[in-house]
Amino acid sequence: MPREAEPSFNERAFLLQAVQDNIRLDGRALDTYRNLDISFADNFGIADVRLGKTRVITRISASITAPRHDRKLDGIFTITTELSPLASPAFESGRQSDLETHLSRILEISLRRSQALSTESLCLVAGQKVWSLRADIHVLDYDGGLIDACCLSTLTALRHYRIPDTSVKGGELTVYTPLERDPVPLAILHHPLCVTFNFFELGEKWLVDATLMEQQCSEGEVVVAANPQGEVCLLQKGGGGEMDALVLLRCVEVALGKVRELGKVVDGALERDAKRRDKGGKSRELRAENER
Amino acid sequence: MADTTLLPLHRADGSATYSKNGYSVVAAVNGPIEVQRRDELPEEAAVDVVLRPAAGVGGLRERHLESVVQHTLRHVILVSAHPRTLIQCTLQIVTGPEDDSVTCSLPQAASDLPVLPALLQASILALLSTSIPLSMTLTAAFVAVNSKDTLVLDPSVQQIKRASSIHLLAFSSRGDLLVVESEGDFTIDKWEEVHQKAKLICHGEEGDESESEDVSMKSDDISKLENVLKDAVERQIAKEQRWNQTIG
Repeated sequence: MPREAEPSFNERAFLLQAVQDNIRLDGRALDTYRNLDISFADNFGIADVRLGKTRVITRISASITAPRHDRKLDGIFTITTELSPLASPAFESGRQSDLETHLSRILEISLRRSQALSTESLCLVAGQKVWSLRADIHVLDYDGGLIDACCLSTLTALRHYRIPDTSVKGGELTVYTPLERDPVPLAILHHPLCVTFNFFELGEKWLVDATLMEQQCSEGEVVVAANPQGEVCLLQKGGGGEMDALVLLRCVEVALGKVRELGKVVDGALERDAKRRDKGGKSRELRAENER
Repeated sequence: MADTTLLPLHRADGSATYSKNGYSVVAAVNGPIEVQRRDELPEEAAVDVVLRPAAGVGGLRERHLESVVQHTLRHVILVSAHPRTLIQCTLQIVTGPEDDSVTCSLPQAASDLPVLPALLQASILALLSTSIPLSMTLTAAFVAVNSKDTLVLDPSVQQIKRASSIHLLAFSSRGDLLVVESEGDFTIDKWEEVHQKAKLICHGEEGDESESEDVSMKSDDISKLENVLKDAVERQIAKEQRWNQTIG
Protein backbone atom coordinates (compact mmCIF):
# COMPACT_ATOMS: atom_id res chain seq x y z
CA MET A 1 0.00 0.00 0.00
CA PRO A 2 1.28 3.47 -0.78
CA ARG A 3 2.62 5.66 1.99
CA GLU A 4 2.01 9.33 2.49
CA ALA A 5 4.54 11.17 0.33
CA GLU A 6 7.18 12.95 2.38
CA PRO A 7 8.04 16.51 1.37
CA SER A 8 11.34 16.74 -0.48
CA PHE A 9 14.49 18.17 1.14
CA ASN A 10 14.08 21.40 -0.79
CA GLU A 11 10.47 21.81 0.16
CA ARG A 12 11.29 21.08 3.77
CA ALA A 13 14.19 23.55 3.85
CA PHE A 14 12.05 26.20 2.19
CA LEU A 15 9.21 25.73 4.65
CA LEU A 16 11.51 25.75 7.68
CA GLN A 17 13.29 28.87 6.46
CA ALA A 18 9.94 30.56 5.94
CA VAL A 19 8.72 29.60 9.41
CA GLN A 20 11.92 31.02 10.87
CA ASP A 21 10.97 34.33 9.25
CA ASN A 22 7.40 34.03 10.59
CA ILE A 23 5.98 33.35 7.15
CA ARG A 24 3.70 30.48 6.18
CA LEU A 25 3.46 29.13 2.67
CA ASP A 26 -0.22 30.03 2.35
CA GLY A 27 0.33 33.55 3.66
CA ARG A 28 -1.44 33.13 6.98
CA ALA A 29 -0.10 34.48 10.25
CA LEU A 30 1.37 31.79 12.52
CA ASP A 31 -1.62 31.82 14.83
CA THR A 32 -4.57 31.88 12.44
CA TYR A 33 -6.86 29.16 11.22
CA ARG A 34 -7.60 28.43 7.60
CA ASN A 35 -10.96 29.34 6.16
CA LEU A 36 -13.63 27.50 8.13
CA ASP A 37 -16.87 26.61 6.41
CA ILE A 38 -19.68 24.74 8.13
CA SER A 39 -22.76 23.50 6.33
CA PHE A 40 -25.61 21.18 7.20
CA ALA A 41 -27.64 18.63 5.29
CA ASP A 42 -31.43 18.62 5.20
CA ASN A 43 -31.62 16.03 7.95
CA PHE A 44 -30.69 16.91 11.52
CA GLY A 45 -27.32 15.90 12.90
CA ILE A 46 -25.18 15.96 9.76
CA ALA A 47 -22.42 18.56 9.83
CA ASP A 48 -20.05 19.12 6.93
CA VAL A 49 -16.96 21.01 8.07
CA ARG A 50 -14.32 22.31 5.70
CA LEU A 51 -11.12 23.63 7.19
CA GLY A 52 -9.07 24.74 4.23
CA LYS A 53 -8.78 21.61 2.13
CA THR A 54 -9.59 19.28 5.00
CA ARG A 55 -13.19 18.13 4.92
CA VAL A 56 -15.01 16.12 7.56
CA ILE A 57 -18.64 15.03 7.66
CA THR A 58 -20.08 13.84 10.96
CA ARG A 59 -23.38 12.11 11.23
CA ILE A 60 -25.22 11.50 14.47
CA SER A 61 -27.70 8.67 14.78
CA ALA A 62 -29.57 7.21 17.70
CA SER A 63 -31.20 3.92 18.58
CA ILE A 64 -32.73 2.45 21.71
CA THR A 65 -30.84 -0.30 23.54
CA ALA A 66 -30.39 -1.76 27.00
CA PRO A 67 -27.81 0.09 29.15
CA ARG A 68 -24.56 -1.43 30.41
CA HIS A 69 -25.00 -3.42 33.62
CA ASP A 70 -22.63 -1.30 35.67
CA ARG A 71 -24.11 1.99 34.42
CA LYS A 72 -27.84 1.65 34.56
CA LEU A 73 -28.62 5.35 34.51
CA ASP A 74 -26.34 6.32 31.64
CA GLY A 75 -27.06 6.32 27.96
CA ILE A 76 -24.42 5.17 25.50
CA PHE A 77 -22.42 7.56 23.37
CA THR A 78 -19.86 6.26 20.91
CA ILE A 79 -17.63 8.09 18.49
CA THR A 80 -16.28 6.15 15.53
CA THR A 81 -13.62 7.35 13.18
CA GLU A 82 -12.48 5.42 10.20
CA LEU A 83 -10.01 6.90 7.77
CA SER A 84 -10.77 5.66 4.29
CA PRO A 85 -8.89 6.01 0.99
CA LEU A 86 -11.29 8.86 0.15
CA ALA A 87 -9.18 11.19 2.25
CA SER A 88 -5.77 10.09 1.06
CA PRO A 89 -4.43 7.10 -0.87
CA ALA A 90 -2.20 6.35 2.13
CA PHE A 91 -5.17 5.39 4.28
CA GLU A 92 -6.19 1.80 4.11
CA SER A 93 -9.73 0.77 4.82
CA GLY A 94 -10.23 -1.99 7.31
CA ARG A 95 -6.97 -1.51 9.17
CA GLN A 96 -6.53 0.94 12.01
CA SER A 97 -3.57 3.22 11.54
CA ASP A 98 -1.66 5.04 14.29
CA LEU A 99 -3.19 8.33 13.22
CA GLU A 100 -6.64 6.88 13.61
CA THR A 101 -5.95 5.54 17.10
CA HIS A 102 -4.48 8.89 18.10
CA LEU A 103 -7.49 10.72 16.70
CA SER A 104 -10.09 8.54 18.35
CA ARG A 105 -8.29 8.71 21.73
CA ILE A 106 -8.23 12.49 21.65
CA LEU A 107 -11.87 12.75 20.65
CA GLU A 108 -12.78 10.25 23.35
CA ILE A 109 -11.10 12.34 26.04
CA SER A 110 -12.10 15.78 24.82
CA LEU A 111 -15.72 15.08 23.98
CA ARG A 112 -16.83 11.95 25.76
CA ARG A 113 -14.94 11.91 29.02
CA SER A 114 -15.25 15.65 29.51
CA GLN A 115 -19.00 14.97 29.74
CA ALA A 116 -19.78 17.43 26.97
CA LEU A 117 -22.88 15.37 26.33
CA SER A 118 -24.79 14.44 29.45
CA THR A 119 -25.20 10.67 29.09
CA GLU A 120 -27.68 10.68 31.97
CA SER A 121 -30.07 12.65 29.79
CA LEU A 122 -30.07 9.73 27.33
CA CYS A 123 -31.59 7.40 29.93
CA LEU A 124 -35.22 6.52 29.20
CA VAL A 125 -36.20 3.74 31.61
CA ALA A 126 -33.54 3.13 34.28
CA GLY A 127 -31.79 -0.18 33.77
CA GLN A 128 -33.89 -1.12 30.76
CA LYS A 129 -33.91 1.36 27.93
CA VAL A 130 -31.48 4.09 27.00
CA TRP A 131 -30.62 5.99 23.87
CA SER A 132 -27.48 4.79 22.19
CA LEU A 133 -26.06 7.75 20.34
CA ARG A 134 -23.35 7.32 17.79
CA ALA A 135 -21.27 9.83 15.93
CA ASP A 136 -19.82 8.55 12.66
CA ILE A 137 -16.97 10.72 11.51
CA HIS A 138 -16.23 10.52 7.79
CA VAL A 139 -12.99 12.16 6.74
CA LEU A 140 -13.38 13.03 3.07
CA ASP A 141 -10.31 15.13 2.50
CA TYR A 142 -7.12 15.27 4.49
CA ASP A 143 -4.80 18.23 4.53
CA GLY A 144 -3.71 18.43 8.16
CA GLY A 145 -5.70 19.79 11.08
CA LEU A 146 -7.60 16.51 11.36
CA ILE A 147 -8.04 16.60 15.14
CA ASP A 148 -9.37 20.15 15.17
CA ALA A 149 -11.71 19.53 12.25
CA CYS A 150 -13.08 16.25 13.62
CA CYS A 151 -13.69 17.70 17.08
CA LEU A 152 -15.38 20.75 15.63
CA SER A 153 -17.48 18.69 13.26
CA THR A 154 -18.62 16.27 15.96
CA LEU A 155 -19.57 19.02 18.38
CA THR A 156 -21.41 20.93 15.67
CA ALA A 157 -23.32 17.81 14.62
CA LEU A 158 -24.23 17.07 18.25
CA ARG A 159 -25.51 20.60 18.72
CA HIS A 160 -27.45 20.37 15.46
CA TYR A 161 -28.98 16.96 16.17
CA ARG A 162 -32.57 16.62 17.35
CA ILE A 163 -33.48 13.42 19.12
CA PRO A 164 -37.09 12.10 18.98
CA ASP A 165 -39.16 13.21 21.95
CA THR A 166 -40.25 10.49 24.38
CA SER A 167 -42.52 10.09 27.34
CA VAL A 168 -42.81 7.39 30.01
CA LYS A 169 -46.20 6.65 31.53
CA GLY A 170 -46.65 3.77 33.94
CA GLY A 171 -43.38 2.18 32.82
CA GLU A 172 -44.42 2.30 29.18
CA LEU A 173 -42.19 4.18 26.82
CA THR A 174 -43.54 6.15 23.88
CA VAL A 175 -41.26 7.50 21.17
CA TYR A 176 -42.87 10.26 19.13
CA THR A 177 -42.29 10.64 15.41
CA PRO A 178 -41.33 14.10 14.12
CA LEU A 179 -44.92 14.53 12.94
CA GLU A 180 -46.38 13.98 16.40
CA ARG A 181 -43.91 16.05 18.38
CA ASP A 182 -40.94 18.10 17.33
CA PRO A 183 -37.68 16.33 18.14
CA VAL A 184 -35.67 17.92 20.95
CA PRO A 185 -32.03 19.04 21.09
CA LEU A 186 -29.53 17.04 23.12
CA ALA A 187 -28.45 18.10 26.61
CA ILE A 188 -24.99 19.44 25.92
CA LEU A 189 -23.30 20.71 29.06
CA HIS A 190 -20.36 22.55 27.55
CA HIS A 191 -18.70 23.02 24.19
CA PRO A 192 -15.11 21.77 24.16
CA LEU A 193 -12.99 22.22 21.03
CA CYS A 194 -9.48 21.09 20.16
CA VAL A 195 -6.65 23.35 19.07
CA THR A 196 -3.46 21.77 17.74
CA PHE A 197 -0.08 23.50 17.87
CA ASN A 198 2.87 22.34 15.82
CA PHE A 199 6.40 23.12 16.98
CA PHE A 200 9.52 24.09 15.08
CA GLU A 201 13.09 24.98 16.01
CA LEU A 202 13.22 23.04 19.28
CA GLY A 203 9.97 24.51 20.52
CA GLU A 204 10.97 28.09 19.75
CA LYS A 205 8.32 28.62 17.08
CA TRP A 206 4.81 27.23 17.02
CA LEU A 207 1.93 27.51 14.65
CA VAL A 208 -1.78 26.82 14.77
CA ASP A 209 -3.78 24.68 12.32
CA ALA A 210 -0.87 23.21 10.37
CA THR A 211 -1.42 21.92 6.86
CA LEU A 212 -0.27 18.40 6.07
CA MET A 213 3.13 19.57 4.86
CA GLU A 214 3.71 21.77 7.88
CA GLN A 215 2.70 18.85 10.05
CA GLN A 216 5.20 16.56 8.32
CA CYS A 217 8.02 19.08 8.78
CA SER A 218 7.25 19.88 12.41
CA GLU A 219 9.08 18.47 15.41
CA GLY A 220 6.11 17.80 17.61
CA GLU A 221 2.61 18.83 18.47
CA VAL A 222 0.56 19.86 21.45
CA VAL A 223 -3.20 19.41 21.50
CA VAL A 224 -5.26 21.55 23.84
CA ALA A 225 -8.97 20.93 24.26
CA ALA A 226 -10.85 23.60 26.13
CA ASN A 227 -14.31 25.09 26.34
CA PRO A 228 -15.20 28.76 25.84
CA GLN A 229 -15.60 29.13 29.63
CA GLY A 230 -11.86 28.64 29.90
CA GLU A 231 -11.76 25.12 31.34
CA VAL A 232 -9.05 22.90 29.86
CA CYS A 233 -10.29 19.38 29.09
CA LEU A 234 -7.16 17.89 27.59
CA LEU A 235 -3.54 18.73 27.15
CA GLN A 236 -1.38 16.36 25.21
CA LYS A 237 2.12 16.68 23.93
CA GLY A 238 3.36 14.31 21.28
CA GLY A 239 6.85 14.16 19.81
CA GLY A 240 9.50 16.86 19.90
CA GLY A 241 12.06 17.65 22.55
CA GLU A 242 11.74 19.22 25.94
CA MET A 243 9.63 22.28 26.25
CA ASP A 244 9.51 25.35 28.41
CA ALA A 245 6.53 25.37 30.77
CA LEU A 246 5.91 29.01 29.94
CA VAL A 247 5.51 28.14 26.25
CA LEU A 248 2.94 25.55 27.23
CA LEU A 249 1.05 28.11 29.30
CA ARG A 250 1.14 30.49 26.38
CA CYS A 251 -0.30 27.73 24.16
CA VAL A 252 -3.19 27.18 26.54
CA GLU A 253 -3.84 30.90 26.58
CA VAL A 254 -3.86 31.10 22.77
CA ALA A 255 -6.02 27.96 22.59
CA LEU A 256 -8.68 29.57 24.78
CA GLY A 257 -8.85 32.52 22.42
CA LYS A 258 -9.11 30.19 19.42
CA VAL A 259 -11.81 28.06 21.04
CA ARG A 260 -13.91 31.17 21.65
CA GLU A 261 -13.32 32.29 18.07
CA LEU A 262 -14.25 28.89 16.60
CA GLY A 263 -17.22 28.63 18.97
CA LYS A 264 -18.58 31.87 17.55
CA VAL A 265 -18.29 30.50 14.00
CA VAL A 266 -20.21 27.38 15.06
CA ASP A 267 -22.86 29.49 16.82
CA GLY A 268 -23.25 31.60 13.70
CA ALA A 269 -23.59 28.58 11.42
CA LEU A 270 -26.17 26.94 13.71
CA GLU A 271 -28.13 30.16 13.96
CA ARG A 272 -28.20 30.61 10.20
CA ASP A 273 -29.37 27.04 9.75
CA ALA A 274 -32.09 27.45 12.39
CA LYS A 275 -33.32 30.55 10.60
CA ARG A 276 -33.38 28.69 7.30
CA ARG A 277 -35.50 25.90 8.83
CA ASP A 278 -37.76 28.20 10.77
CA LYS A 279 -40.37 28.81 8.11
CA GLY A 280 -43.01 31.30 9.20
CA GLY A 281 -41.36 31.81 12.61
CA LYS A 282 -43.45 29.13 14.29
CA SER A 283 -40.64 27.01 15.70
CA ARG A 284 -40.73 28.75 19.08
CA GLU A 285 -44.36 27.87 19.65
CA LEU A 286 -44.13 24.36 18.22
CA ARG A 287 -41.10 23.06 20.04
CA ALA A 288 -41.53 20.45 22.73
CA GLU A 289 -38.63 21.27 25.06
CA ASN A 290 -39.17 23.38 28.14
CA GLU A 291 -37.58 26.72 28.80
CA ARG A 292 -34.84 26.24 31.43
CA MET B 1 -32.94 15.64 -11.11
CA ALA B 2 -29.49 14.26 -10.57
CA ASP B 3 -26.89 16.54 -9.10
CA THR B 4 -23.28 15.82 -10.00
CA THR B 5 -19.89 17.26 -9.15
CA LEU B 6 -16.61 16.09 -10.55
CA LEU B 7 -13.40 16.20 -8.48
CA PRO B 8 -14.80 17.54 -5.20
CA LEU B 9 -11.91 15.96 -3.24
CA HIS B 10 -8.29 17.06 -3.36
CA ARG B 11 -6.27 14.05 -2.32
CA ALA B 12 -7.84 11.17 -4.23
CA ASP B 13 -6.80 10.67 -7.87
CA GLY B 14 -10.34 11.16 -9.04
CA SER B 15 -13.63 11.73 -7.31
CA ALA B 16 -17.26 12.57 -7.90
CA THR B 17 -20.45 13.20 -6.01
CA TYR B 18 -23.80 12.06 -7.28
CA SER B 19 -27.12 12.88 -5.66
CA LYS B 20 -30.44 11.66 -6.85
CA ASN B 21 -33.68 10.45 -5.39
CA GLY B 22 -32.65 11.39 -1.85
CA TYR B 23 -29.35 9.54 -1.95
CA SER B 24 -26.07 11.38 -2.03
CA VAL B 25 -22.87 9.43 -2.67
CA VAL B 26 -19.23 10.49 -2.77
CA ALA B 27 -16.95 8.25 -4.80
CA ALA B 28 -13.18 8.39 -4.95
CA VAL B 29 -10.91 6.39 -7.21
CA ASN B 30 -7.22 5.85 -6.60
CA GLY B 31 -5.38 4.07 -9.30
CA PRO B 32 -3.53 2.47 -10.77
CA ILE B 33 -1.64 1.96 -7.48
CA GLU B 34 0.51 -0.69 -5.92
CA VAL B 35 -1.37 -3.86 -5.11
CA GLN B 36 -0.90 -6.16 -2.17
CA ARG B 37 0.80 -9.40 -3.12
CA ARG B 38 -2.20 -11.59 -2.29
CA ASP B 39 -4.58 -9.51 -4.45
CA GLU B 40 -2.22 -9.19 -7.38
CA LEU B 41 -3.42 -10.50 -10.74
CA PRO B 42 -0.68 -11.25 -13.29
CA GLU B 43 -2.63 -10.24 -16.39
CA GLU B 44 -5.00 -7.55 -15.24
CA ALA B 45 -5.65 -4.83 -12.70
CA ALA B 46 -7.40 -5.79 -9.51
CA VAL B 47 -10.51 -3.72 -8.88
CA ASP B 48 -11.31 -3.05 -5.26
CA VAL B 49 -14.60 -1.51 -4.18
CA VAL B 50 -15.18 -0.31 -0.63
CA LEU B 51 -18.60 0.92 0.41
CA ARG B 52 -19.05 2.83 3.61
CA PRO B 53 -22.52 3.43 5.00
CA ALA B 54 -23.65 6.84 6.25
CA ALA B 55 -24.02 5.57 9.82
CA GLY B 56 -22.60 2.53 11.53
CA VAL B 57 -20.10 0.05 10.19
CA GLY B 58 -20.51 -1.92 7.03
CA GLY B 59 -22.14 -5.31 7.22
CA LEU B 60 -23.47 -8.01 4.95
CA ARG B 61 -25.57 -5.55 2.98
CA GLU B 62 -22.57 -3.37 2.16
CA ARG B 63 -20.49 -6.43 1.18
CA HIS B 64 -23.24 -7.50 -1.21
CA LEU B 65 -23.49 -4.07 -2.81
CA GLU B 66 -19.70 -3.91 -3.05
CA SER B 67 -19.63 -7.18 -4.93
CA VAL B 68 -22.29 -6.02 -7.40
CA VAL B 69 -20.41 -2.79 -8.10
CA GLN B 70 -17.07 -4.58 -8.24
CA HIS B 71 -18.26 -7.15 -10.78
CA THR B 72 -19.72 -4.36 -12.90
CA LEU B 73 -16.67 -2.11 -12.82
CA ARG B 74 -14.37 -5.01 -13.63
CA HIS B 75 -16.02 -5.25 -17.03
CA VAL B 76 -16.20 -1.53 -17.60
CA ILE B 77 -12.56 -0.76 -16.82
CA LEU B 78 -9.96 -1.95 -19.33
CA VAL B 79 -8.29 -4.04 -16.66
CA SER B 80 -5.81 -5.63 -19.05
CA ALA B 81 -4.27 -2.20 -19.67
CA HIS B 82 -2.83 -2.12 -16.15
CA PRO B 83 -1.66 -5.58 -15.12
CA ARG B 84 -0.43 -6.12 -11.54
CA THR B 85 -1.92 -2.91 -10.22
CA LEU B 86 -4.89 -1.96 -8.12
CA ILE B 87 -7.75 0.34 -8.99
CA GLN B 88 -9.40 1.24 -5.75
CA CYS B 89 -12.88 2.70 -5.67
CA THR B 90 -14.23 3.98 -2.37
CA LEU B 91 -17.88 4.87 -2.08
CA GLN B 92 -19.27 6.83 0.82
CA ILE B 93 -22.99 7.26 1.27
CA VAL B 94 -23.45 10.74 2.70
CA THR B 95 -27.21 10.97 3.03
CA GLY B 96 -30.13 8.71 2.37
CA PRO B 97 -33.76 9.70 1.78
CA GLU B 98 -35.61 11.27 4.71
CA ASP B 99 -37.04 8.00 5.97
CA ASP B 100 -33.58 6.56 6.47
CA SER B 101 -32.96 8.81 9.43
CA VAL B 102 -36.03 7.95 11.47
CA THR B 103 -33.62 6.99 14.07
CA CYS B 104 -35.11 4.16 16.07
CA SER B 105 -33.44 1.33 14.22
CA LEU B 106 -31.29 0.85 11.19
CA PRO B 107 -33.43 -0.21 8.24
CA GLN B 108 -32.06 -3.73 8.14
CA ALA B 109 -34.99 -5.31 6.39
CA ALA B 110 -35.21 -2.64 3.72
CA SER B 111 -34.13 -3.47 0.23
CA ASP B 112 -30.61 -2.58 -0.77
CA LEU B 113 -31.47 -1.88 -4.39
CA PRO B 114 -32.50 1.81 -4.20
CA VAL B 115 -28.98 3.04 -3.42
CA LEU B 116 -27.35 0.98 -6.17
CA PRO B 117 -28.01 3.34 -9.12
CA ALA B 118 -26.37 6.20 -7.21
CA LEU B 119 -23.39 3.98 -6.38
CA LEU B 120 -22.92 2.89 -9.98
CA GLN B 121 -23.29 6.40 -11.39
CA ALA B 122 -20.97 7.92 -8.78
CA SER B 123 -18.31 5.28 -9.38
CA ILE B 124 -18.39 5.70 -13.15
CA LEU B 125 -18.08 9.48 -12.80
CA ALA B 126 -15.16 9.06 -10.42
CA LEU B 127 -13.48 6.68 -12.87
CA LEU B 128 -13.99 9.21 -15.68
CA SER B 129 -12.44 11.96 -13.56
CA THR B 130 -9.45 9.74 -12.80
CA SER B 131 -8.93 9.20 -16.56
CA ILE B 132 -8.77 5.44 -16.17
CA PRO B 133 -9.20 3.82 -19.58
CA LEU B 134 -12.71 2.43 -19.83
CA SER B 135 -14.27 0.23 -22.48
CA MET B 136 -17.61 1.98 -22.02
CA THR B 137 -19.57 4.11 -19.62
CA LEU B 138 -22.75 3.03 -17.93
CA THR B 139 -26.03 4.49 -16.78
CA ALA B 140 -28.38 2.95 -14.27
CA ALA B 141 -32.12 3.35 -13.90
CA PHE B 142 -34.37 2.37 -11.03
CA VAL B 143 -37.97 1.44 -11.74
CA ALA B 144 -40.75 0.22 -9.47
CA VAL B 145 -43.93 -1.54 -10.53
CA ASN B 146 -46.78 -0.59 -8.21
CA SER B 147 -49.84 -2.62 -7.35
CA LYS B 148 -51.81 -1.08 -10.23
CA ASP B 149 -49.21 -2.46 -12.64
CA THR B 150 -47.92 0.96 -13.65
CA LEU B 151 -44.24 1.83 -13.79
CA VAL B 152 -42.82 4.40 -11.39
CA LEU B 153 -39.48 5.95 -12.19
CA ASP B 154 -37.17 6.78 -9.27
CA PRO B 155 -39.75 5.79 -6.64
CA SER B 156 -39.75 7.34 -3.17
CA VAL B 157 -39.30 5.26 -0.02
CA GLN B 158 -43.06 5.02 0.46
CA GLN B 159 -43.60 3.99 -3.15
CA ILE B 160 -40.96 1.27 -2.83
CA LYS B 161 -42.71 -0.09 0.26
CA ARG B 162 -46.00 -0.34 -1.62
CA ALA B 163 -44.53 -1.58 -4.91
CA SER B 164 -45.08 -5.15 -6.04
CA SER B 165 -41.62 -5.33 -7.61
CA ILE B 166 -38.55 -3.12 -7.98
CA HIS B 167 -35.93 -3.31 -10.71
CA LEU B 168 -32.49 -1.92 -11.22
CA LEU B 169 -31.13 -1.94 -14.75
CA ALA B 170 -27.80 -0.59 -15.94
CA PHE B 171 -26.94 -0.12 -19.59
CA SER B 172 -23.60 0.39 -21.24
CA SER B 173 -23.01 3.36 -23.50
CA ARG B 174 -23.67 1.07 -26.47
CA GLY B 175 -27.12 0.27 -25.12
CA ASP B 176 -26.33 -3.24 -23.88
CA LEU B 177 -27.75 -4.47 -20.62
CA LEU B 178 -25.00 -4.65 -17.99
CA VAL B 179 -26.64 -5.15 -14.61
CA VAL B 180 -30.10 -6.28 -13.72
CA GLU B 181 -31.36 -6.81 -10.21
CA SER B 182 -35.04 -7.39 -9.53
CA GLU B 183 -37.00 -7.96 -6.36
CA GLY B 184 -40.64 -8.92 -5.87
CA ASP B 185 -43.33 -10.59 -7.99
CA PHE B 186 -43.47 -9.87 -11.69
CA THR B 187 -44.06 -11.59 -15.01
CA ILE B 188 -41.65 -11.82 -17.92
CA ASP B 189 -43.90 -9.49 -19.95
CA LYS B 190 -43.78 -6.92 -17.17
CA TRP B 191 -40.03 -7.22 -17.01
CA GLU B 192 -39.80 -6.63 -20.76
CA GLU B 193 -41.84 -3.48 -20.30
CA VAL B 194 -39.54 -2.37 -17.47
CA HIS B 195 -36.55 -3.09 -19.68
CA GLN B 196 -37.96 -0.93 -22.49
CA LYS B 197 -38.72 1.90 -20.11
CA ALA B 198 -35.31 1.76 -18.41
CA LYS B 199 -33.54 1.73 -21.74
CA LEU B 200 -35.53 4.77 -22.78
CA ILE B 201 -34.51 6.59 -19.61
CA CYS B 202 -30.85 5.75 -20.04
CA HIS B 203 -30.53 6.22 -23.78
CA GLY B 204 -33.50 8.13 -25.11
CA GLU B 205 -35.39 7.15 -28.24
CA GLU B 206 -34.44 4.01 -30.09
CA GLY B 207 -33.49 5.75 -33.32
CA ASP B 208 -31.60 8.51 -31.54
CA GLU B 209 -28.13 7.16 -32.16
CA SER B 210 -28.52 7.11 -35.92
CA GLU B 211 -29.15 10.85 -35.94
CA SER B 212 -26.25 13.24 -35.96
CA GLU B 213 -24.53 13.68 -32.61
CA ASP B 214 -25.26 17.39 -32.36
CA VAL B 215 -29.01 17.04 -32.62
CA SER B 216 -29.24 14.46 -29.89
CA MET B 217 -26.99 16.57 -27.66
CA LYS B 218 -29.13 19.66 -28.06
CA SER B 219 -32.50 18.02 -27.60
CA ASP B 220 -33.08 18.88 -23.97
CA ASP B 221 -34.49 15.54 -23.04
CA ILE B 222 -33.70 15.81 -19.35
CA SER B 223 -34.87 12.31 -18.59
CA LYS B 224 -32.02 10.88 -20.62
CA LEU B 225 -29.52 9.74 -18.04
CA GLU B 226 -26.65 9.53 -20.45
CA ASN B 227 -26.81 13.30 -20.82
CA VAL B 228 -26.27 13.75 -17.09
CA LEU B 229 -22.95 12.00 -17.49
CA LYS B 230 -22.03 13.97 -20.59
CA ASP B 231 -23.05 17.20 -18.91
CA ALA B 232 -20.91 16.58 -15.85
CA VAL B 233 -17.85 15.80 -17.92
CA GLU B 234 -18.46 18.74 -20.27
CA ARG B 235 -18.72 21.16 -17.37
CA GLN B 236 -15.50 19.84 -15.88
CA ILE B 237 -13.66 20.17 -19.19
CA ALA B 238 -14.95 23.70 -19.66
CA LYS B 239 -13.77 24.54 -16.14
CA GLU B 240 -10.34 23.03 -16.63
CA GLN B 241 -9.84 24.53 -20.07
CA ARG B 242 -11.17 28.00 -19.31
CA TRP B 243 -7.68 29.46 -19.84
CA ASN B 244 -7.78 28.17 -23.38
CA GLN B 245 -9.93 30.42 -25.58
CA THR B 246 -10.00 28.08 -28.55
CA ILE B 247 -11.90 25.34 -26.71
CA GLY B 248 -15.51 25.90 -25.72
